[in-house]
Amino acid sequence: MTVIELVKKFFMVDLFKGLWVTFRHQNPADLVTEQYPMERPVISDRFRGQPRLIKDAAGRTICTACGACALACPEKLIKIGSLRDPETKKKVLTSFDFDMSRCMFCGLCEEACPTSSLKLSPEYELALYTREGMQLDRDKLENGIPRKEYEK
Amino acid sequence: MSDNQFYESFEELQLTRNDLDSKELVLNMGPQHPSTHGVLRVILKLDGEKVNGLECVIGYLHRGIEKVAESRTWAQFAPFVDRLDYTAAVANNFGYCLAVEKLLGLEIPKRAQYLRVILTELARIASHQVWLGTHVLDIGAVTPLFYAFRDRETILNVFEKYCGARLTTHSFRIGGCRWDAYEGFSREVLGICDDLGPRIHEYANLITGNRIWLQRTKNVGYISAADCLSYGITGPVLRASGVGLDLRKAQPYSSYEDFEFDIPTGANCDTFDRYMVRIEEMRQSIRIIRQAVEGLPEGPIIARVPKVIKPPVGEVYVSTEAPKGELGYFLVSDGTAQPYRMRVRPPSFINLQALEKMAKGGLVADVVAIIGTLDIVLGEVDR
Amino acid sequence: MKSILGYLHSNVTPGEAGNLFWVAVYVVLVFAGVSIGVIFMNWFERKVMAHMQVRIGPMRVGPHGLLQPIADALKLIIKEDLMPANADKVVFWFAPVCVVMTAFCTFIVVPFGRTHAITDMNIGVLFMLGVSSLGVLGVIMAGWASNSHYPLMGSLRSGAQMVSYEVAMCMSVVSAVMMTSMATGTGTLSMIGIVQAQMQQRTWFAFSFFPVGLVALSVFSIAMVAETNRAPFDLPEAESELVAGFLTEYSGFRWSLFFLAEYTGMMAVSSIATTLWLGGWLRPFPNLLGGRNWDLAFSLVPGLTFLALAAFCFFFYRRMPQIRSMRASAIGLAAFGCVLGLLGIIMLLPGVRERVQDIYWFISKVGFFMYLYVWGRTTFPRYRFDQLMTIGWKVLFPISLAVVILTALIGVRQELFALVWR
Repeated sequence: MTVIELVKKFFMVDLFKGLWVTFRHQNPADLVTEQYPMERPVISDRFRGQPRLIKDAAGRTICTACGACALACPEKLIKIGSLRDPETKKKVLTSFDFDMSRCMFCGLCEEACPTSSLKLSPEYELALYTREGMQLDRDKLENGIPRKEYEK
Repeated sequence: MSDNQFYESFEELQLTRNDLDSKELVLNMGPQHPSTHGVLRVILKLDGEKVNGLECVIGYLHRGIEKVAESRTWAQFAPFVDRLDYTAAVANNFGYCLAVEKLLGLEIPKRAQYLRVILTELARIASHQVWLGTHVLDIGAVTPLFYAFRDRETILNVFEKYCGARLTTHSFRIGGCRWDAYEGFSREVLGICDDLGPRIHEYANLITGNRIWLQRTKNVGYISAADCLSYGITGPVLRASGVGLDLRKAQPYSSYEDFEFDIPTGANCDTFDRYMVRIEEMRQSIRIIRQAVEGLPEGPIIARVPKVIKPPVGEVYVSTEAPKGELGYFLVSDGTAQPYRMRVRPPSFINLQALEKMAKGGLVADVVAIIGTLDIVLGEVDR
Repeated sequence: MKSILGYLHSNVTPGEAGNLFWVAVYVVLVFAGVSIGVIFMNWFERKVMAHMQVRIGPMRVGPHGLLQPIADALKLIIKEDLMPANADKVVFWFAPVCVVMTAFCTFIVVPFGRTHAITDMNIGVLFMLGVSSLGVLGVIMAGWASNSHYPLMGSLRSGAQMVSYEVAMCMSVVSAVMMTSMATGTGTLSMIGIVQAQMQQRTWFAFSFFPVGLVALSVFSIAMVAETNRAPFDLPEAESELVAGFLTEYSGFRWSLFFLAEYTGMMAVSSIATTLWLGGWLRPFPNLLGGRNWDLAFSLVPGLTFLALAAFCFFFYRRMPQIRSMRASAIGLAAFGCVLGLLGIIMLLPGVRERVQDIYWFISKVGFFMYLYVWGRTTFPRYRFDQLMTIGWKVLFPISLAVVILTALIGVRQELFALVWR
């Protein structure tokens, strides 16, 4: 070992370099903790969160009950009930059951939907107290799950 | 030796008399343990502090993913593949899509190929950050974990903005990519590359030169190149043993031949070399990402794929260079919309064979370091 | 009554003066002070470690986590007290008691000032080192009583580690004690005597016989980290290691006693280091910057420190989130700031500030060592046990021997030169 390396070893230069790195990080500008729920994260538009059924401006559902999402889902957790309107001969949505407890938020249903009425919204706070609460019906899909806002 | 043993010679008697605890101790490092990365059970046969033998018991995370594949369509199965190596889900998705595309004989547009490379290399960095944090934590330093995860956050944010999920991304589709680069993608990714360089240098200051680190990792967990090849070990473990095999250079896929990068190798085949190889791989990934972002071509992002994917009858094996090693997909198609058989060649599972070889003859305290240096993810080992 | 009031004018410690009332008062004060120190250290360690790890530590239990140690203590007290079925009950019960008692007993001779010690033995340093060695006995008892293979192994390893590093510690202490004899011709083991020797020789022993004093201090610092089982020498109590430490079978209050003893031990060996090398209770530059004006300036420092802390509290009070449910925390923080400010003002009063000075400087030097402990824990990985023992015996022991020999040679160099030249 050269003299310089010996000197560095004796004076523990490598250890002091490490100490300096950790010391420098105490700078308050470096802290990355987000104090949830007072500071909430910024969610991107494409975030795959809670599934929602979109209604149009008049409040009517856009979904045509085609069943493409039910076919696309890998877990077969979408059950669509519909009946055919005798006048327009088109399918009308009656019930839409989504089992969110088995959903893996893959987005295949959103992709398959031809009318873009089924969307995975950026809602990420999905914790509930009951398993039954995770079974979303049409009402919850259209209007959202009622939940409490926490501020602290 | 029992008390009634007839000793062959006085030397033998001396040997047994001098051993205070000559009976072999069987120690169970159970499935729940702060240091094994996931639910890995290791049964150690100890002689005092020395490890005489080692047996891994796996299967605590087995979810039957390969069986599930047989009852899903080709496109429906893609989200499941993310759950194999969950630290770098993008790489798993990449391999699967490439395998199905080869079955279908599809030509992927250049832009999609470049986007895939960018995201996969970001996933490689993210996976190596997890490895770095947890490995160093096992050895005792508590801080680099937080630094590594802070850097990983920036990458996960990019994933979230690109495909909507941070961990189980389902980022690619069969035929290309579903989403194009979002507004500000290039800027953010180049920003990550710029920030990460000095931070990797910081790890060097904090860990690499540290004498305690050197003492804990040099000459620990030795496995020769010949042993690696005979076990079938791939990835950084193989490269640290001196064999410069990287599938991105050996069998280039998805435009990797367009990029210039080096393959770091090590000479000593020990834990320290594996550490250096992975750190250097992070730097090379940054290089690839820069080249890909700056050279991102215009064009479509997905090829023309039939609505219902029914590949012709046949089988294909496609392997890619995942962060953990060679990740291979063996797909057998019988002409229907669902795979007949889907078999994954998990790098962590095959690398785990080396654990016994590396830990035997060493000390108990090194077993933890060796499990860390193999960089196993139980999701992949157990599937 | 007269003796009680009479002591107030003396200039010796109560133990020396033989005044039992004041000894009792000092014992209570030191015990309370050390306990508050341990509680503060818990909060301090978590916050400092967190900041070094780019996160913030406890924030929710009390404003900025100030009530966290109290919450932890309450939790530990109400936890179920398990005793293994086959454990040796008496030894199991006694082990934490032994460790805590020895750790606290070392504070009998720690001098916070010329008169601010419970007593001053003429073998002060030896007493401290000896009593802290008794703590090793408690550790081994803990492992033995658990009646399980792994805690026993862990406690034996921990005991071996503590004993090995005591050798290096004691050799550096010997070198510092030798330095005390430079001015007067006779050395002293008394803690107060050592500080007075530093005062007489107009230098802290860390800087005398340069660089031998610094080397001795470094050796002692490294050995004291190993002695108290802290990182990077904390293999026996590491969480990710296979062979569990001697603390495995202890839960609840018993575990908190071990943890109390660990922090107290840290403070005790830091006190030894402060007294021997950093000038104990002496303010910086008592001789170089002497005189009434400098004395006045330095005596304002404790009060100003507390006022600065109070200002910090108010600064963070302003930055607290202005939501209804955080109002109690915010008011608590403001109240804490007021208390600190009040203490600061009291410490600026002319009667108080001379008396408080010594204690303040001593505690800030000990606090510096505590910060080094936390800093080291955050930064360094852990040594393996065989490497640990190698360092203790093959690195620190020879260096400390060399330090002793060099100190002796430098100390008698005048006589030596005379001998050589004659």
